[in-house]
Amino acid sequence: MASPPVSQPEGMLPPRSEVGVTGWLHANLFSNWFNSVLTLVSAALLVTGLWFGLKWIFLAADWTVISELGGRFLLGRYNTEAACEGQNCFWRPQAALIMVSVLLGAAWGLRGNRVARAVAWLVAGVSAAFAFLPYNLATMGLDVRILLLLNLPAVPLGWALAKYTPLGTGTRVTILGVAIFFITLILLRGLPGLPFLQPVSVVYWGGLSLNLILAVGGITLSLPIGIALALGRRSNLPVVKVLCVFFIEVFRGVPLITLLFMSQTLVPLAFPEDMPQNSLFRAAVVITLFSSAYMAENIRGGLQALHPGQAEAARALGLPGWQTTMLISLPQAIRNVIPAIVGQFIGLFKDTSLVYIIGMLDVVAIGRSFIQSNPEYLPSARELFVFLAAVFWIFTYGMSYISGKVEDYMGVGRR
Amino acid sequence: MAVEETTTGQEIEDIIICRDVHKWYGSFHALKGVSTTVKPGEVVVILGPSGSGKSTLIRTINHLEQHQRGDIIVDGIELSGDIRNIDAIRREVGMVFQSFNLFPHLTVMQNITLAPTKVRHWSKSQAEEVANELLTRVGIPEQASKFPAELSGGQQQRVAIARALAMQPKVMLFDEPTSALDPEMIKEVLDVMRELASTGMTMLTVTHEIGFAREVADRVIMMDEGNIVEEAEPNEFFTNPRNERAQMFLSQIL
Repeated sequence: MASPPVSQPEGMLPPRSEVGVTGWLHANLFSNWFNSVLTLVSAALLVTGLWFGLKWIFLAADWTVISELGGRFLLGRYNTEAACEGQNCFWRPQAALIMVSVLLGAAWGLRGNRVARAVAWLVAGVSAAFAFLPYNLATMGLDVRILLLLNLPAVPLGWALAKYTPLGTGTRVTILGVAIFFITLILLRGLPGLPFLQPVSVVYWGGLSLNLILAVGGITLSLPIGIALALGRRSNLPVVKVLCVFFIEVFRGVPLITLLFMSQTLVPLAFPEDMPQNSLFRAAVVITLFSSAYMAENIRGGLQALHPGQAEAARALGLPGWQTTMLISLPQAIRNVIPAIVGQFIGLFKDTSLVYIIGMLDVVAIGRSFIQSNPEYLPSARELFVFLAAVFWIFTYGMSYISGKVEDYMGVGRR
Repeated sequence: MAVEETTTGQEIEDIIICRDVHKWYGSFHALKGVSTTVKPGEVVVILGPSGSGKSTLIRTINHLEQHQRGDIIVDGIELSGDIRNIDAIRREVGMVFQSFNLFPHLTVMQNITLAPTKVRHWSKSQAEEVANELLTRVGIPEQASKFPAELSGGQQQRVAIARALAMQPKVMLFDEPTSALDPEMIKEVLDVMRELASTGMTMLTVTHEIGFAREVADRVIMMDEGNIVEEAEPNEFFTNPRNERAQMFLSQIL
């Protein structure tokens, strides 16, 4: 006696409001009259904004100020007569750029990662594209253009180095990266006694390269210093703890501008007068330490969010305290606060512009001083600052994007 | 002469000795002079109402909690404040927690091989070989490359047992290993523990699983308010408890 089948058709279709384009539109944009009005008003605002924005960008705006600024935008007064005293120094930053392309290529070759590949080709491609700028050859010589084009073969070179030579381990590529950073500094600064590396005072450094040098140095150092401070603040040793708390609270409690001023006015007092002074170095140290203090608190937040059972389980297995921290607590803590860490990196990158207050011409200050000394470009200030905003945004959005990829890779929120 | 030998022989035979162990959390007296011994291969189940100090007791044995008075001697090593002794004991004592406490950022395989490679300094291949054997033993050899969050609660707890066993401990501590599990998963974990007991592992288990205690335990310890109130073979304990507090506890849970 089989019971009659329940009348439910096979593969009953979901209601139209749940699937397809209409379903999505209804659920997300027109679910009730209020949302429908909001949708229409926002759409109108968006279209108007885009219309006027694009019209200004493509028709009204006069971008000649950017091309007039030219290489100064990237290098400030680095390659000027005053800085180089009769020599041509242009090849030095360009050699550094090629090394960066090699490094990015190596990072790509290491893991075969799509994002790393995109970043490497983007940097090398944009650099090489500069070679085709429509300046005449007197403004931008053939040698400059060839050096820029060399960024393209540099990427596959780095890729091959990582893929086919003993260089291809994470540690070695990291060491290469650090080495390239210091070689870049030496290249730019020059070495006394070497005729082809005539010293160039840091007061001539400027432009976007100055922002990047400060940011890269600050980012790579503030994370480890921040980790050390966070661990120190949680230490059981009272002296270590008090010192770390003191450091963090002082650097967090004082505005960066004040710290920068102090670095230029107070710090030199502590050293003998005839000691060579390097304002860039002092600024870099201040920016790094300032960022480390914030970083320490981010990391500490991550450490505190961990379930105490994690460290207990590690200790119960016989792992000593420092291994528990390095292998269990820190990796999880850092993973959980990646958004805050990247936020701090982005903040640091933007803050590098503040060095203008101690007289260094970063990319923003270069633009401003160019307009002030060339009043005919005063009306172009709008174009200049829109362009600068776009440049900053590209870098910071790049950081956001990569951090998102890193989160995916580490499985944040999933495991 | 002969007597003395037996006494020392007796001393060595006990793998865990607790003598008048006291533990305070601030002013709260959690353990009020607990004394007991455990012989190698013995399976001891600790019962008692919540807050009676059962978990605290087994956590003092590998020094996750520090006792303030009395002696705890594990495998002949006195558990003092000396960090080297504590690490030495932890190498010989495995622990399984109520909330599993697997490392979420590591795969199952890495969870198991971490301590053997870092603490025992085994080679990676040797550690992985042992890990694979253990995963087969706890019935999940196919999960080695997964992350803990991808496993069910019962599977996670079995990985946690394998992780503790990978250090080849002489004693296993179980702190309510099935309390966070759904009923159908409790059995798979208890089966693993049963198998482990049958191989002669020394086990101290805090649990509410009366069936497990009755079937597997060599001895049942009943705790209440920081004291051991009754200590007996399971048969005797469950059928004929002498202590009034134990009688009341059993009448509530049976």
